[in-house]
Order: sequence, then C-alpha cells, then structure tokens
Amino acid sequence: MSVSGNVFRYPEEIRDDFLQTADIQFRDGSKASPAEVWHYLTEIGPKKYPHIYDYSNYYGRKISGDVTLPFSLKHNYLIMTMDERMTKAKQNGIPVVFVQGGQSVDPYYAAGAIALRPASVGIWASCQHEGLNLNQEEVRRANQKEKAYRAISFEVCQSAGYENIQEGTVPVDMIAPYSCLRCSDVSYGLEAHRHGKRKDVKLFLADYPLDHQKDKEWAITYFAENIRRLIESIDELTGGKTTAEDLRKEIKLHNEGRRLAMEIADLWWSAEVPPTNGKDRRDLFQMGGMELHGDPEASLSLLREAKGYIAERVKKGQKGFGVSDNPVRIFVCGSCVFPNEYRIEEVGGIVVGNDNHWSDITTIVEEDGDPFYNLAKAVLSYPYEQSIKERAKWTVEQIKRSRADGVLFLYNWGCNTQSAVARALVDEIKRESGVPTLIIEHEQQGTQSEQLQNRVNAFVEMLK
Amino acid sequence: MALKTLEIIKKRLEERPKEIEKARREGQKVVGWQGYNIPEEIIYALGLIPVRIGVGGDDRMVEIGARYISTKNCVFVRETVGLFAENNDPYVQNTDILAFDATCLQTYRTAEIIQYYFNKEVLILGVPRNFYWPEAKVYFTKEVEYFTRRLEKQAGKKLNYQILADTIGLYDRIRNAIVTIYTYQAAAGNYLSWEETYDLIHAGYYLDRREYLSLLEQVLAELREKQGQPFIEAVEGEARIFLSGSVLPPGDKKLIKIIQEVGGRIVGDDLWSGLIPYLDVKIPENSLQGLAVGYLNRTPHGALPYLDLDTDRRIKRLKELIQTFKAQGVIYHTLRYCDPYTFKAKETKDILQKEGIPLLEIHTEYAGSDFEAIRTRVEAFVEMLKNRYDEEVAV
Ligand code: SF4
Ligand code: SF4
Repeated sequence: MSVSGNVFRYPEEIRDDFLQTADIQFRDGSKASPAEVWHYLTEIGPKKYPHIYDYSNYYGRKISGDVTLPFSLKHNYLIMTMDERMTKAKQNGIPVVFVQGGQSVDPYYAAGAIALRPASVGIWASCQHEGLNLNQEEVRRANQKEKAYRAISFEVCQSAGYENIQEGTVPVDMIAPYSCLRCSDVSYGLEAHRHGKRKDVKLFLADYPLDHQKDKEWAITYFAENIRRLIESIDELTGGKTTAEDLRKEIKLHNEGRRLAMEIADLWWSAEVPPTNGKDRRDLFQMGGMELHGDPEASLSLLREAKGYIAERVKKGQKGFGVSDNPVRIFVCGSCVFPNEYRIEEVGGIVVGNDNHWSDITTIVEEDGDPFYNLAKAVLSYPYEQSIKERAKWTVEQIKRSRADGVLFLYNWGCNTQSAVARALVDEIKRESGVPTLIIEHEQQGTQSEQLQNRVNAFVEMLK
Repeated sequence: MALKTLEIIKKRLEERPKEIEKARREGQKVVGWQGYNIPEEIIYALGLIPVRIGVGGDDRMVEIGARYISTKNCVFVRETVGLFAENNDPYVQNTDILAFDATCLQTYRTAEIIQYYFNKEVLILGVPRNFYWPEAKVYFTKEVEYFTRRLEKQAGKKLNYQILADTIGLYDRIRNAIVTIYTYQAAAGNYLSWEETYDLIHAGYYLDRREYLSLLEQVLAELREKQGQPFIEAVEGEARIFLSGSVLPPGDKKLIKIIQEVGGRIVGDDLWSGLIPYLDVKIPENSLQGLAVGYLNRTPHGALPYLDLDTDRRIKRLKELIQTFKAQGVIYHTLRYCDPYTFKAKETKDILQKEGIPLLEIHTEYAGSDFEAIRTRVEAFVEMLKNRYDEEVAV
C-alpha cells in the first residue's frame, strides 16, 4: 500500500500477482480482466473520483489498505464503474428497479431487471460527479439530501435516494421495495413518489404480511402473489414474459451466493485472528445478497475467488490489514447505520458481524417445487423480521458463532421500528448470551457521527 | 347548553370501571384493543367486553413509555406503553387479553413491547398494505378467521353466527347514529359542539355497546327536539376548521383547546379517533368474510400506503368531508415521529391548495412547551379564515 498526503495509491509491487487473478464475469456475458481493473484503479479512478482515494480514517468508506485481497480491489472497481455499467445496461434496455431493506433480489433479476438498494443508487449518483475531493463530495451529498427532507419530511431517517430519483439524476424505471417489519419509511418513502414530479417511474409495493407470517399458509400464498405481481410489473417494462423456470434458475444462482457468503463467514469466524479488516469483511459478507454491485454474476465471481483467499489466510493465521492483536470483537445490530470500522480498529476493536443484510443471506430458498411459493416462504422467514424473541435467538447464534465480545445496537434518528425494539432486543440478547451491549442513536441526518463514533470507541475501550 | 344525555354519559363513564371489574369477577373477559381494522363486532359477539385502549396528552406517561419503547416513536404509542408500565389506568388493569392490528407498524411494535415487558396475552391481526387487491381481501379474511379462533379460545365458546348478525346490526346503528350526530354538530344553531361529539365517540370506547347505542339515540332525540332538521352552512364571523392527520385520542385536547380559544370552530374531521372509522362501513354479509371485506373497504388509514394519488380514496373522502361540513380550512395535526401522516403533510397541503382550501400543519407532541407557538400560528390561521370569509361575502 502507498499513501502520500492522505491520498491512497495501489502499490506497483502487487501488480503482477493481481494480474494473475480471475476475471470479473458480468451478467451480460462480458468480462473485466485483472489488467483492466488494475488500469482503472491506478489510472482512471484517481482522476475521476479523488474522494474515493482519500485515506483519512474519518472517511468510513475509504479504500481498504488490504491490497493483497483481490476481491477487495475488484469490489472497488465495481463501485467506481457503477455509473458506466448502469448506463450501459439502460442502453441495452434493462430496467433498473429501486429496492429497499434487507431483501432477496432474486425476482427482480429473474424478470430481467437490475435491483439497486439506496446505497447503490447513492453510489451511482455520486459516480456521475467527477473530480470531487472528499469535502466537495460530502457537501454535494448533503445538499441532495436536503432536497428530499424538504420534499417529504425532515423526519425521514434517510432519504432513500428520493432526491436522485425525483431529479432524474439516476434514471430508475421502477421503485418496488418489499414492505417489512424492519422499516416503516419504506412504504411511506415509496408513497411519497406519487406526489413527485417524475411521473414515468412505476411504483410497486411487495406487501410483506406480519406476525408469525412464516407459519401461516395464507400469508405465504399472499406474499407469493405479491412476488408474481412484482415480476409481471417488471415484465411490462421489458416486454418479456418471465416464467417459473426463470425464477427457479435465478434462485439457484442467488442460493450459490448466499451459500458462499455463509461458508466464508464460517471460515472468517473460525479464525484465531480476523483474516480481514472490518470493512473488507462487511463487503464480502454482503456480497452474498447479490445486490451490492448491481450485477449478481459479478458479485458471485468475487465471492468464488474470495473464498480461497480467506481459507488461505485462516490456514496461515494471517491477520487482516490494520487489525490489532487480539482485538475486541463487536457485533452490530440495528439498521441502516454503521460505525466507521477504521476508527474502531484504531482503538483496538473490530466489527465481526451484523444482523442487517445478513439475515436474508442466511436464508436459503428451497429449489424444488413452486419457486414463487418457495421464495415467499423464505423471505417471510428472515430472522430479522420475526418477533423479538425469535430475532434475538437468531442474533445470539450469530454472536456466538462470531465470538463477539460486545453488541452494539445502532439506529438512525427517525427510525421508528428499529428504535422501538432496540431495548427489548438488547435485553433479550443480554439475558441469553451475557454479552455486554450498548444502544446508540445516530443523530439526525448523520450530522453528528463523531459523537456516535466516540461512544462506540468508549465501548470498545471498556471491553478491552 | 349541554344536552341532558351528556350528563348521563359522564356519570356512566365514572361508573364503568367498577362495572367492568365486577363483570370480570363474574367470569367475563375484557379485550383491550387498539388499531383501525379490528372488527370489534367479533369481540362483542363472543360475549367478551371490548375496550378500546390508548389515551393521549400526558407527557409524564410518554416519558415512562419511552423507557421501554423509544423516544423515536410517536407519543401516542409511547403513552400506551407508559399506561402498561405504570398500570394505574383502570381499563388497562382490567384487560385480560390485548388485541392490536398491524395497520401502523408502530402499533404493531407497541404490541410486541407490551407482550415482552408486561407479560400480556396479545393477539395481533395482520393487515394487508395492498388492501385494494382481491388477494389482500382473501388474506385479511383468513387473518380475521384466525383472530376469531384465538378469541374463541379465550371466550371458551364458538362464535354464534346469529349473534354475530345481531351484533353487526347493533354496530351499524351505532355508526349511523354517530354519522347523523356529526351533521348536527356542524350545523347552524348547533346544540352540540365538535368537542362534545369527540367525547361522545370516545365514550363508546368504554361503555357497553347496547347501552351506548341507546345513549346515542337519546342524544339524537334531544338534538332533533332542540335543533330540528340540521342545516350545515357557514355563518358570518366563523372560522370553520376541519381537523385531519394523526390521532387525537381521549385526553389529548391541547390543539382542540387552542383552536377554540382563538375563536376557531371545529366542524369536522377525518381522524382515526374521530369520524372516519364509522363512515362507509358496508358489511356485505353477516360472516367473518363479510366483516373482513367491509372493514377493508372503508376509507383506508393513512398508515396503509396507496400509490396512485388520483384514485386515493382517503384524499377523495377528505375533500368530500371538507365540502359536507362547509369547512374553510384544514388544520393538519401531525405527531412527531408519526410517519404515516407526517410524510403526507406537504402533499395534502399541495392538493388542497389547488382546491383553494388552506392547510396549516401543526407538528407537535404532548408536552406543553410549544403551546404558545402553536397558539400564535393557529390564531393567525383563524384570523386569515375569518378575513377570507368577509372578503368572499363582500364579493
Ligand atoms: S433507518 Fe430505519 S426507518 Fe430508516 S430506512 Fe432504515 S430501517 Fe427504515
Ligand atoms: S398512525 Fe401515527 S399516531 Fe397513529 S400509531 Fe401510527 S405513528 Fe402513532
């Protein structure tokens, strides 16, 4: 790794090894060779997106310095090329659908669309602005968000890309999230678009029934109908006709991603010392959701390659870059807000897992039988969306498997449904696992994340 | 000018907790419920005592509730949790079973918290968000059937469909009486104010429903005698206000008092705690399916998202009610962290503006600290409405 004046550069010494690694395979059959990736990361990226190369620890999304993990470099490449890739897909007539919450994206891809969550839409919008330094990029983001707060309400927890979609900066064709227990803003944020100026964006809500939903046949049947209608709505955009077989195939593909992520998690958690830093871990586990890059095949090719590297490091007892000796292991619960992993590592901690966007990945969809029904049943079984006790039981299992020393429950200001159960969940976790816990609210619109970080760091210090 | 029957109701409300206690001693069970889509008819038909729980306006109770649920939940649900934490409210003390629906996710969470911390038996009724789909009606019917099976267990008996039919008839009469009383309160020369009507509705949360109907009918008889045929018209010097937005439960009178103090006259509402649950209820058949469909076809609660503005029945109904009650402006009340209504405030304002109806959003909690600030804004709004009336009459 090389850093000069707080600007990151990929070191030439790793180039040759990197060029020996696998291509990234894309859904449209195209590929990106390691040479292309390398060229992009070392020549194009630094000019186009200087803010991404800012190496201050205060920048939570900064590039991981673990340069000998090829998937980490390729992940950055996929992030930086989001605008180019989405623009290309749109030119090829592929609709882009905005989704939200921890949900499987199998049906969207089965119907021939791309499904993007708020973070990915934010990346896409960000990638449209070249040459900005970190400060300029943050000002740009804040200004954009302000527009959404004005248009909807200043009490929205986060704007869920409303501003970018309504302004047409990201040409999303459809907004079609699942409603779910985790979040009330999903439904009302979606509804707010009906009043926006863009009338060409299709709106659809996949209605997630609540309360012991996974044990009720009628709830599963109803949600299966929602998936069917969701696919039909996407078909109206593409002009195609998605079959049950298309969905089954897609489920198989996504199951592979989910399984790989779980296998990698098992390896990672079994290691004496953490084989990657927290940022790489999070990206890697989350790839199992197959939505991070807007291209499931690309995510899958990274996962396939990553598994070997993680296994190797675990075997050798090699520690991830930036991780201290014997770090305090933290498990994060809650939603839509994450501590800065680099800052945690600075004080001798590491985030070893999180519940959000993991519960869906750990739910494998049955492959035989009616795929609509199977998918509905799986989605309604996500542990995160169950009752307090059930969710806590699953969370405790993850805490034990990841050998966490402490649990942080974080929620955004304005996040009604997560904040509502924060104390109950944490009380139950404490009772069942004995692990120390801390609840922190992320201040309104992210303006005081420093305060959040200080409290997180104090918690880590306390656990040492 | 208070009606005699209102005095009787007041007295009966004072006696009611003891009466419920006695009924429980004699083996009857009380179902405390909260939500928008729970068909109360089923509870009553099973011989259980329905009580609609949840009050507002007490900041201390909100504070207590927030220790269990969070400060980022609306004050109504925080106060509901507070009621259970403190356990002093006679209706809360006398609740055997709780029933909540999943219309608003915060109500759902409240049910979870009460179950978790206060060890209460809670039944939840799932509510579809795509409520206008035929499949959603099937889903909701199944939910209502499942809900009924669990209530039957509590009641120790099966639902008798003849009793259900009679109960639906009883409730239809209650609904019709309330709708008619609303016309009287909004009319010229009214003997009953909107606030008294609001209290009258809330009396029905606690009193036995048969007795409640007879009291409503007495109120109507008195009104007919004193007021004759009601005629709704705007009168000079009035600022006729329509209330919309988040719930104003029993006990939350801050905004109502302010409006009245500055000379506004509330003439109608589309509140969850007001008129709206009693409107447009057409139970197509005396069965659980009939109830499910009838409830789902009412004007939807704001917590159920609807994606097409042009065909939104809630907005259509809002416009109609403003017309019916000859309201000149809308005060749109939003409780902090009530996303279902807060997110729609600007949209509603824009829509009504196109119809020439001004809207004032009041975003508040139960604390009294914003009393003066709200008063100043409401006063200016009321003045504006009065001036508009004068200008319109002058033209
Ligand atoms: S922070 Fe909470 S309310 Fe906001 S999008 Fe996330 S889960 Fe939903
Ligand atoms: S609709 Fe609003 S006021 Fe009512 S329970 Fe939900 S959040 Fe609270």
